[in-house]
Amino acid sequence: MSENVVKLDRDEGGLVREETQSGIYVEPVYTPEDVKSRYEEDISDPGSYPFTRGIYPKMYRDRLWLKAFLVSYDTPESTNAAFRSYIENGMNDLRLTCDLPTQNGLDPDHPLALSAMFCGGIASYAINTYETMLDGLPLENTVYEGGFMNVLDAIYFHGLLVAMIENRGGDISKLLGTDIADPVRSKLVYGDPSWPTEIERRVLMDHIEYCLEHTPKWRPVVPNGIDPCQAGMNAIHELGEVIAVCTAIIEDFCKRGHTIDEFGPMVVAMDAESDFFESIAKFRAARRMWAKVARERFGAQKKSTMMLKIGIRTSGLSLQAQKPLNNAARVTIQTLAGVLGGVNSIDACSIDEAVGLPSYEARMFTLDMQHILAHEANVPLTADPLGGSYYLEWLTDKLEEEANAYLREMEENGGIYACLESGWLRGVMEQDRLRVQREREEGKRLIVGLNAFQGEDGPVNQAIADCAYTVPPEQVRQERVAEVKAFRASRDQEAVARAIRRLYQDTKTGANISRAVIDGGKAGLTIGEVCGIVRLAYGLGYDPVDMIPTPDHVEQALRDLPA
Amino acid sequence: MVAKAGCDIHERGALTMMTAFRDAGMEVLYTGRYQSEAAIARTAVAEDVDVIGVSDLTGSLPIICRKILEELRRMEADIPVFCGGLLTRADREALLEMGVKACFGTGSPVGACVEKVYELVGQRPS
Repeated sequence: MSENVVKLDRDEGGLVREETQSGIYVEPVYTPEDVKSRYEEDISDPGSYPFTRGIYPKMYRDRLWLKAFLVSYDTPESTNAAFRSYIENGMNDLRLTCDLPTQNGLDPDHPLALSAMFCGGIASYAINTYETMLDGLPLENTVYEGGFMNVLDAIYFHGLLVAMIENRGGDISKLLGTDIADPVRSKLVYGDPSWPTEIERRVLMDHIEYCLEHTPKWRPVVPNGIDPCQAGMNAIHELGEVIAVCTAIIEDFCKRGHTIDEFGPMVVAMDAESDFFESIAKFRAARRMWAKVARERFGAQKKSTMMLKIGIRTSGLSLQAQKPLNNAARVTIQTLAGVLGGVNSIDACSIDEAVGLPSYEARMFTLDMQHILAHEANVPLTADPLGGSYYLEWLTDKLEEEANAYLREMEENGGIYACLESGWLRGVMEQDRLRVQREREEGKRLIVGLNAFQGEDGPVNQAIADCAYTVPPEQVRQERVAEVKAFRASRDQEAVARAIRRLYQDTKTGANISRAVIDGGKAGLTIGEVCGIVRLAYGLGYDPVDMIPTPDHVEQALRDLPA
Repeated sequence: MVAKAGCDIHERGALTMMTAFRDAGMEVLYTGRYQSEAAIARTAVAEDVDVIGVSDLTGSLPIICRKILEELRRMEADIPVFCGGLLTRADREALLEMGVKACFGTGSPVGACVEKVYELVGQRPS
């Protein structure tokens, strides 16, 4: 049962696997005979359909990948300072997040909020926190990325950004960026209690329609394979899942009378896992698969609509608490896989993530490491430098074939939402996770420092562990509880009541709720209130976890509604 | 009983340990996510469990375990608590100090954790 340490001779071959991480058998040698895809149809030049080699003709010569990571510390002030410093050092994709209770739609004074408070970042419960956090930072023509959990977060925090631009007298059409808002991931991975899938799907379509009209440079949904993959899914299933979610979203969008060309390019988030070539092949296969779906299934006319933009995050799961210095190698190799896979933005994990929350210096390493890849190693000089490798082209084809077989299986089971509801998807994820667990126990999957080449932590490794950022203690959390209560009391209560009624009625009558959320944000509605009011309009209880009653001021505001 | 408290969504560790305990021949309950500490303690008492393993990756194990222990004490229940997840050295010290029986950081060998449970409940499958 115990995880045995595998003893290997460091100098002899002694490889324990003949398969990729997701279990694809690999031959010792590949030759031109193995490559079945045709250059013109299946591979093609970078910038040309089906974009296997990348979406731009000159790739990184024209634009380097964006460098991002989630930035959020215990207070809006410290987060603001961190943003400024990271921007100074080359971060050009400002990734927003907040702590887990907030992402779940729970304000800091909710009884369930205390224990996970500050995990992931600040408790950004309302516009006051955003004003401090983004104080002095440009909101227009700067790439922001929402790294949140669910559709509630996506519409709420987009609403806060729009509200702030309007409050500053700016032009909201200059808001740039993306948000995840993946209604499958929110339930499959997080079991997110905020809004049921039915509400998430409707609000997501409202949000997409609003964004296309008013903030067209904001991509409102980014189907996400990273977290299903981190929760257990292998590369084949992650690839299939991402394409399935993209497809389901465009289907819902078209049901509202739109075409895929109105939607434009799709952006997805994928995992850069430990298996180097499998990750590269996965990114190439994803672009080709989506281009085909967009053109063949949805009749896309515009070239840009067939393009899949990929943002990656390296694998937090692959990082180890034992000898954390080794994580620098893991993060670098996974980042390189992203670059060789032609991705458009990179969120590289911090080497101390397995021992604590990312420290400032570890963050700086992830930026510097990318600068080294770009400017010292000269990796981005030419587009898709591994294109034409017999192995890589074979593996790209193989992943596409396996993922398509998985997609057919999913279709036979009723499509992705039915598979989510029935637990089928969760079963796939669980089976994959168990396989990894068993392989590790059997010594067929080596993790250096853990079940092979254990060695010992010296002072450098100890220092990394000791420098990790630790979350604030209970007393600091209690201060936040007091703060949100004081904030609610400080609002213009008449304006709040109007905002509550507007959001409730727009939800109830089936109107697009985006404007009500933006104006609600300006009036100071908290994320917990927005979550609860929409739930009430659907006849659900205010609190997603059934621990608190509807607050008096919400009941009072809704009591005054005309019948 | 494998337990998760609050809003921590990281579930892989809890699921992995659940499978490992089950494979070792134990009967395992899982609370699921989004539980309060009081509910965890009450469930443990109601289900008469032998040991509670708390999993958390938000850096909040001292806060969570303290509340579970308080609630158990209030109910005069003598159920050992151990924990696993994201832990700093200071967290470990605080946890052992307050009466948590063992702490397992990420990447700890699964077998060591199973052994600890045998030791805490004072028996192993025959």
